[in-house]
Amino acid sequence: MMSLPFLLFACGLGAAWLRQRGAAMGFWVAGLVVLLVLFRVHMSDVLNIAL
Amino acid sequence: MPGDLSRLLNALGLIAVDTVLALAFVDQLWFRDLPCPLCILQRAAFFAAGFGLALNLLSGPRPSHYGVTIVGAAVGAAISMRQILLHIVPGTGSYGNAIFGLHLYTWAFIAFVLMIVGCAILLLDDRQFARSEPWSNRLSVLPLTALAVFAALAVGNVISTILICGAGFCPEAPAGYLIFNENLRLTELAQAL
Repeated sequence: MMSLPFLLFACGLGAAWLRQRGAAMGFWVAGLVVLLVLFRVHMSDVLNIAL
Repeated sequence: MPGDLSRLLNALGLIAVDTVLALAFVDQLWFRDLPCPLCILQRAAFFAAGFGLALNLLSGPRPSHYGVTIVGAAVGAAISMRQILLHIVPGTGSYGNAIFGLHLYTWAFIAFVLMIVGCAILLLDDRQFARSEPWSNRLSVLPLTALAVFAALAVGNVISTILICGAGFCPEAPAGYLIFNENLRLTELAQAL
């Protein structure tokens, strides 16, 4: 699951290499959305602060 | 700014991103400092930001490509700032090794801010976008090297993240390569080697 953004960006890079700019941008947007979702999941990790 | 200078600067920027990602791998493999979930997400954000520079090299400079880099760097800056704030209260400790007194997530935040500022400076010159002839498909050694290393690091991070986290979410403080622990119990063997 956590490797999905890397995989999508790698696919986007491959598409850009093949001059498929639209597909490359699509993969980038998908990777960014997954990245933000994963950030949302881990952003609310419990803080171990002793007050 | 002539188009060739723009391509050179983008190649140098992508090499800088490659260097950051390669150093993260050195820290992981040589110093055995496994990345936490937020650290992995910051690495992914470096790919999101570097993607725009790669597009500039492959398709020629466009404002939208710089936008890709700025958006990716802004997301990365938000993630690294979140991790800085996790440890900002005295007594809450820190994660990972410090380099020159700053932890990797602090360096990451500085790097993301520098990327945003760098893109803003590059966007100031419109002449790079006013090229009449099409961009050559042939890349010189520097951009080609930058792109090849960037692609190799992306594949390397896919493999590394699967090894650390398996197919699910990562543990908050990974103690070893999860896939070895769960399936093959090779962590001890890897440490012995």
